[in-house]
Amino acid sequence: MSDNTTEIRAALRAILADHSSADAVLAAEPEGWNEPLWRVLDDGGFATIAVDETIGGSGGSLADACAVLHELGRSAASIPFAEHALLAGWLLSQGGWDLPGGVLTVIDDTSGLQIEAAGAGFTLSGTANHVAWAGASTQILLAAVVDGTPTALLLSTKDVQVGGGANLAEEQRRSVAVDSITVPAERTWELPADAVEQLRLRGALSRAALIAGALERVSELTVRYTSEREQFGRPIGRFQAVQRHVVRLTEMAQQAAMATTVAALNGSDAVDFFDVASAKIVAGECASGGAAAAHQAHGAIGMTKEYELGQLSRRLWSWRDEYGHESAWARELGHRLAEAGADELWPRIAAGLLAAGPQA
Amino acid sequence: MRFIPTGLSAQELQLQREVREFVKDALPAGYRPGLGMGASRSPEFSKKLAERGWVGMAIPKQYGGHARTAVDRFIVTEELLSAGAPLGAHFVADRQTAPAIIKFGTDWQREFFIPKIVAGECWFSLGMSEPDAGSDLSSVRSAATRVEGGWLLNGTKIWTSGAHRNHYFAVLCRTSPSEDKHQGLSQLIVNLRGDGVEVRPIPFLNGAHEFNEVHMTDVFVPDEMMLGAEGSGWQQVTSELAYERSGPDRFLSTFGLVKYLIAERATGGLTPEQERAVGQLVARFWTIRQMSLSVARTIDDGGAPAVEASLVKDIGTRFEQRVIDVIRDVVEVQLDLDSNSTFEQLLAESVLTGPSFTLRGGTTEVLRSIVSKGLRNV
Ligand SMILES: Cc1cc2nc3c(=O)[nH]c(=O)nc-3n(C[C@H](O)[C@H](O)[C@H](O)COP(=O)(O)OP(=O)(O)OC[C@H]3O[C@@H](n4cnc5c(N)ncnc54)[C@H](O)[C@@H]3O)c2cc1C
Repeated sequence: MSDNTTEIRAALRAILADHSSADAVLAAEPEGWNEPLWRVLDDGGFATIAVDETIGGSGGSLADACAVLHELGRSAASIPFAEHALLAGWLLSQGGWDLPGGVLTVIDDTSGLQIEAAGAGFTLSGTANHVAWAGASTQILLAAVVDGTPTALLLSTKDVQVGGGANLAEEQRRSVAVDSITVPAERTWELPADAVEQLRLRGALSRAALIAGALERVSELTVRYTSEREQFGRPIGRFQAVQRHVVRLTEMAQQAAMATTVAALNGSDAVDFFDVASAKIVAGECASGGAAAAHQAHGAIGMTKEYELGQLSRRLWSWRDEYGHESAWARELGHRLAEAGADELWPRIAAGLLAAGPQA
Repeated sequence: MRFIPTGLSAQELQLQREVREFVKDALPAGYRPGLGMGASRSPEFSKKLAERGWVGMAIPKQYGGHARTAVDRFIVTEELLSAGAPLGAHFVADRQTAPAIIKFGTDWQREFFIPKIVAGECWFSLGMSEPDAGSDLSSVRSAATRVEGGWLLNGTKIWTSGAHRNHYFAVLCRTSPSEDKHQGLSQLIVNLRGDGVEVRPIPFLNGAHEFNEVHMTDVFVPDEMMLGAEGSGWQQVTSELAYERSGPDRFLSTFGLVKYLIAERATGGLTPEQERAVGQLVARFWTIRQMSLSVARTIDDGGAPAVEASLVKDIGTRFEQRVIDVIRDVVEVQLDLDSNSTFEQLLAESVLTGPSFTLRGGTTEVLRSIVSKGLRNV
């Protein structure tokens, strides 16, 4: 972590303690996002961390953005940072667009849409599901390869029908229907060849970082709970069977954090497929195993809506599916590794963190 | 609990390249790889490595070591393990005994043993376990009594890997009775070929001769072979175990399964299930390696990441076993140790030896106690 990243995390943690407390998280559920928190973070310049200063962002590295996501994950904060900054902000910067006002989001899965070139612009129809924060956004971006050209399109939410949908944590994942609208040429731009892929990788990395943050907090909660809760005359954390859950959970949290941090640090110029696929796979698997261990160690209290664990575990169960299930990433990664051949396997693993020296 | 991600410097990357080249030359084309530190042993290979300065790397120069870092040692070790190289002869002496002698030993011991270890010519076993003392090492019964010029040692050690081939072992034994089981223990360096020492084989599950029972009857151990202060055996052994725990030998034992699955099957195309297995496992190799490397870097930076090391051992050894299950599940072959497929041989070998990964060097259960105590104390 650079000094910058450490500062960002410390500042955010203080804000989140006030605006993403367990009560605030519950209060935000009916709306599907935590708008008051977003306002505070937006005013403070946190909402555009890692977006180029030249287009009106706050600047910063991909690792900084992942540090923000880590903190947001820790505090179960339902805000559109990943889509707004890491994805939409980055796409806009690829076209040299200034950040427009309002919340931005992206359609990550364009498979339900038909996009056709029409004159200098494009026509668009179909439905995209699970669009994050679509009900809170003013603009929606998407990136797709149209007639062989990687292209970005900027839609106003006024021109689309935003339906329902939420993830297991009641965070907005809306359907977006488009009825054969025309996107004029001035709201589209050609992207670099690998931009669609880079966007996909950034989305996956964002969820890995959220998961790592949430697991860190789940792990803290569980250590605390098991040393306070007594049964049979002693803290349950003294029973080896319970220790097993706590240690497994810690292991999951540490692995998710390591994988995500290394992928983010390596991704300063371009995000790497191997790194992100690995981080998403590891984080997804750890989300499953970690949540299970935490619930088992907590007993019934963990199943109550007010208790913080549930806020985090519902997100863990959702985020592991978003931007590609870990199984899909694993198949793709395995396919590429097999194509590269056995002799390339170890060198790829041992490439590890590319920056020299410890990232304290 | 803190794992700081770390990368390799230019010099470290250079070392990595050198080891890779060395391994390519030193292992002939048809070389049959082995499973991590359980790979075969080759005194010639150990000597060749030593000639390159890759044994006893972290030992100070004045004792013939190379004054390299823990990370340098990590790099050499992971390259050898990932190739399934025959490092069995010198591995324990290099990993465990040499650092213990440097830390606790006398000048005489350092001068006598270290140059031989660094040359890859002096091999050690570990003399801890006994029939009634496994996880609970403090209950060892082997005992030494004071005699003129030294000690008279009696007792039985068990599960002593390689005792039939190695030269010495450091025996944890009681040197004075004590109320507190952790007091009154010492370590004596014993010549495995000496008078009164009898090494009896215990066949390993795969039929190999790895384990031994070592009986010691009135073995005379001269004073200069006491390792560390009399009565400090417990502290020494526990500190020694910390070296033993978090290295690449704790997550790479079954790496060959993934590598040779690709080598042998990828030309015809892996099935989607196999691809998924490879992806899942490789993602985890990459992550765990980074954690293990982080422990080495922390040691070089003067830290004492004992709890982190235990955590990595637990993660790594359970992962080594999971690799076997996942791979076996997606290949569906009838196992045969004599198969002419390297992949299938390794898989058969893994199934037979896999349960040992989470036992040797401290069981999963015991490690978890250490970690959970560490977590409560933060
Ligand atoms: C391949 C291999 C090589 C080895 N090489 C050597 C060697 O060279 N030298 C040497 O000295 N030893 C060696 N060992 C021995 C190894 O260190 C012991 O097997 C290990 O410490 C466990 O002791 P044990 O086998 O007696 O099992 P036990 O201690 O009897 O344990 C049996 C089970 O009970 C559990 N258990 C025990 N106590 C506790 C507790 N307090 N809390 C929770 N669970 C507990 C254990 O975790 C385990 O599951 C080797 C072992 C293997 C498998």
